[in-house]
Amino acid sequence: MSRLGTWPVHLALVAVSTLMLVPFYWVLKTSLTGENIFAYPPAFLPVKPHVFYYVDVWYYIPFVRFLLNSVVVSAIVVLASTAFNAMAGYALTQRFRGKRAIILLLLSCMLIPFQATIIPAYLITKELGLLNSHLGLALPLCSTIICIFVFKASFDAVPRSLMDAARIDGLPEWRIILIVMLPLSTSAIATNVILSFIWSWNNFLWPLIIVRSQEMQTLPLGLSTFLSYLENTTGALYAFCIMVLVPGLGLFLMEQKRFIQGLTSGATKG
Amino acid sequence: MDVRRLLANRYVVVLGSIALLAVVWNAYAALNSDGRISGRVVGPDGAPVQGAVVRLQERTLTTLEPRTTATTGPSGEFRFTGHRLHHFVLEATKDGVGRAPRTAYRLYFRGQNYVLAEPLRLERTP
Repeated sequence: MSRLGTWPVHLALVAVSTLMLVPFYWVLKTSLTGENIFAYPPAFLPVKPHVFYYVDVWYYIPFVRFLLNSVVVSAIVVLASTAFNAMAGYALTQRFRGKRAIILLLLSCMLIPFQATIIPAYLITKELGLLNSHLGLALPLCSTIICIFVFKASFDAVPRSLMDAARIDGLPEWRIILIVMLPLSTSAIATNVILSFIWSWNNFLWPLIIVRSQEMQTLPLGLSTFLSYLENTTGALYAFCIMVLVPGLGLFLMEQKRFIQGLTSGATKG
Repeated sequence: MDVRRLLANRYVVVLGSIALLAVVWNAYAALNSDGRISGRVVGPDGAPVQGAVVRLQERTLTTLEPRTTATTGPSGEFRFTGHRLHHFVLEATKDGVGRAPRTAYRLYFRGQNYVLAEPLRLERTP
């Protein structure tokens, strides 16, 4: 396409991007002004913006405690899911009887929403004695089918001769994953890290079910503090949303290149 | 790994900048958080009012919690010390003179030293 011919495409992309960013802008603007979302006519630019709603959030809830819980749970999820998903992905690259059935089973399990399995998940967590604990909060996300297939796609792209050479050298399977496969799959690792982090960070329903005390609450549960029928807490609510969003957004922005690579790896494999 | 390369790493830059900002902010807060709130009370004519009672209330998410009171001096000045508030309301009254309406103030951190920019002005009540 000629240089002159690309600007309409760019213009359209900028317009669509702007449209998609409007809700985020609105959340940011409301967090700085506390403007009622039903105000008419709505002000597009913030009127008398200030940061005091962020100060309110910091002090009205034990923000540091919630943040620490979210960080610990996300760290467990990221580490465990990287290990388990890589192992499962590696297993699916091998030849064995029933492999196709297992892949179909995993794919069909993706169709079942988490809400449908939440009661068995709760009962299992209870039997393990992990209710109201960081490990219990992290448990359902310690392995995710999407990320297993991300790893599988990435491992499929590694020449089999490398694995064969490692086996001839006497490496056990777990060391082949650790030393040969993972260093060649940094995009898949980045995708797994980002997806599992964001899922864990934004998880609301599971913590709501298994957390019993305020000390174990994660950031999304803190949202309920700012839902009030008596007072206008709009500004604090939106400021809290921004404070919850920023870490995930920052991680994505810092790793977006690898994230996109990881999602598209295998897509063009012939 | 080369130290210069390590320092240029985006994680080191971003997390390091956040840590640095947090240290600077906390140092500033520690040096300015004696919990002093001071100001003046004036009458409807703008003259200082001695003996007016100023009430300090904490603004929580949904309610107002009474905290303490102070009485103004000869030049209408008052002072609260040792507060640990970041969002508070002041109101002043003096029998026979009037009442200053509730005014809310917000601070950047708990216990921040604060001097009212405008005096509390008593208004005659019917």
